[in-house]
Amino acid sequence: MAKPGLDGHERGAKVVARGLRDAGMEVIYTGIRQTPESIAAAALQEDLDAICLSILSGAHLSICRRLADAMAEMGIEDIPVVVGGIIPEDDTEELRRLGVRAIFGPGSNLDDIVAAVQEIVGGADA
Amino acid sequence: MTDDTTITTTSDLPIAAYHDSTTLDELGVDEDRGFPPPGTYPFTRGFREEGYRTGFWDWEMYAGFGSAENANERYRFLLENGATGGVSVALDLPTQIGLDSDHPLAQDEVGLAGVALDSFSDIERLFSGVDLGQAGHVFSTANAIGPIMYAWVLHYCHTHDVDPATFRLQIQNDPIKEYIARGTQFLPVQAAVRLATDVMAYSHEHTPTWLPVSVSGSHMKQAGASPAEEAAFTLANATAYMEQLEAKGVKLADFNPTLEIHFCTDMDFFEEVAKYRAVRRAWSEIGRERFGVPDERLPFRLHAATSGLPLTAQQPLNNIARITLQALAQVLGGCEATRTASYDEALAIPREEAAVVSLRINQIIAHETGIAKTTDPLGGSYYVEALTKRIHQVIQDELERIGELGGALAAVEAGYFQERLARRAYEDQRALDTGERIVVGVNAYVQEETVSHPRFAVDPAWEAEQLSHLRAHREGRNEAELRSALAGVRDACASTDNVVPSVLAAVAAGATIGEICHAWREVFGEFEQQWAQV
Repeated sequence: MAKPGLDGHERGAKVVARGLRDAGMEVIYTGIRQTPESIAAAALQEDLDAICLSILSGAHLSICRRLADAMAEMGIEDIPVVVGGIIPEDDTEELRRLGVRAIFGPGSNLDDIVAAVQEIVGGADA
Repeated sequence: MTDDTTITTTSDLPIAAYHDSTTLDELGVDEDRGFPPPGTYPFTRGFREEGYRTGFWDWEMYAGFGSAENANERYRFLLENGATGGVSVALDLPTQIGLDSDHPLAQDEVGLAGVALDSFSDIERLFSGVDLGQAGHVFSTANAIGPIMYAWVLHYCHTHDVDPATFRLQIQNDPIKEYIARGTQFLPVQAAVRLATDVMAYSHEHTPTWLPVSVSGSHMKQAGASPAEEAAFTLANATAYMEQLEAKGVKLADFNPTLEIHFCTDMDFFEEVAKYRAVRRAWSEIGRERFGVPDERLPFRLHAATSGLPLTAQQPLNNIARITLQALAQVLGGCEATRTASYDEALAIPREEAAVVSLRINQIIAHETGIAKTTDPLGGSYYVEALTKRIHQVIQDELERIGELGGALAAVEAGYFQERLARRAYEDQRALDTGERIVVGVNAYVQEETVSHPRFAVDPAWEAEQLSHLRAHREGRNEAELRSALAGVRDACASTDNVVPSVLAAVAAGATIGEICHAWREVFGEFEQQWAQV
């Protein structure tokens, strides 16, 4: 679970991280103010099954673009990425094109998020 | 009346099926002696007997985006539409974190969540054509960068022949809650508190009518605190600032008239009303008992903002009803100043039309409902008085617990507040998922969204515009003067001197926000965030 960019509102990130943990997953939270490059490095170093991003700042497109580049450079582009936050409908197609596997906007149900991550991670293992 | 413990307020306080005098008896509230009139200690019912009869609450509208010109345009628009809370400056994230707009971390965030301000030249463009005396009030959420915002505005007064006494600068300048909830901290917490209290002490001496601190519970509430915890944690933080200020030789008794406490108003209507009443009482008692403030000096400013958290991205027009109810609760709670969110804020920063609707909500409450015609109209309500007493009790219990942990700063360093907020945020989400808590349009009465609501559009040209302003500003400086001024900032930080004069000198020498904050970081070191196994 990572919060890229400068936005420090981490309520959502912490809630989802707890939800994933309570569903039996091992979760590492990077804390606030991460760069896409530092998140990719963390994914490589920790050998993660999935990267979850929490983005409220409106900078999701450029962040995901930079993350995709960094992951490609490190050869970890197969690690699935999930994005949550204030994501306008219009941007979902571009995010999916950048390899984002699931997108959760405001008002999402935590169980739905957990189920989606479980499915994606299961898929990644297979 | 026996309490039904299964039905509770947002703060988990029990609610009886109905309330009467036995409820108050059980709580030890003496109806005859428990409700001193407004204008008298402990001010539960308000600071002034006349309440809003002699003047409505201030109608502040928080705004800012893009470059200084963009924000300036919105301020003029709001003032023309009758906003009475002056100019309320929302800052973008790079500015709040002390980074220049061309810093690598600022990329793609310039002008997004607020206006980008890099240097004093931006301040001149921000205020261009705005008569500060007439606006009466300038507010900004400057926290970690409190001293710089203060210096910018004071330097503006000095160089543009504006008497600081003709308007009121109010800066949030409350870094403690950034570490707990909001996340714009960049220095170690002790250093940040030292800078914040330096501003308070300097302002007390040089701009005594300004409001150099607004101790804020709002962000802690947004991050998960209950209304009662919001109240308790804020007063714990306010106590910490006042103790540090006393150590600098400024007494709360002298300082108090320019102290502000800031909360946000959530949806549990009567609990919110009671919260504001309980806070006035609790802080007045702290002022009298702990800091020895004479009763006539006790009143502080109570500032309330409607909460963004209950606003939904689904069926956004419903947010007009939510905002109205929150605005009503904070007025019934007797707040001196309010800030009202806009119905499209769950989607993006507000469009002009949505901002005006929120301003009109205040105007309708003030002029059309008759609520302002008498002070504390809910005073004496069995339910509101019982809740006021219960919240007051939570505040006292929490302050005792935080005291045992060594005070607010020690509690922050131990992660006490953070854990409390995270736990409640999680429980709150669970209640939403299970339908235990209903939010219209989100987990009940859900509607297929057929209408795509207009949202505020971000112009990518802003970033380029701001970067060119920054480059032009840097070219116009005297390098030797700049270097010497920044050395002065480092020296002041390393000593026990008040840092504000050195920051003022740096601003005058053309230093950017990034350069001044870099000087702070060089002396104090940096706040570090660690990866953590959840």
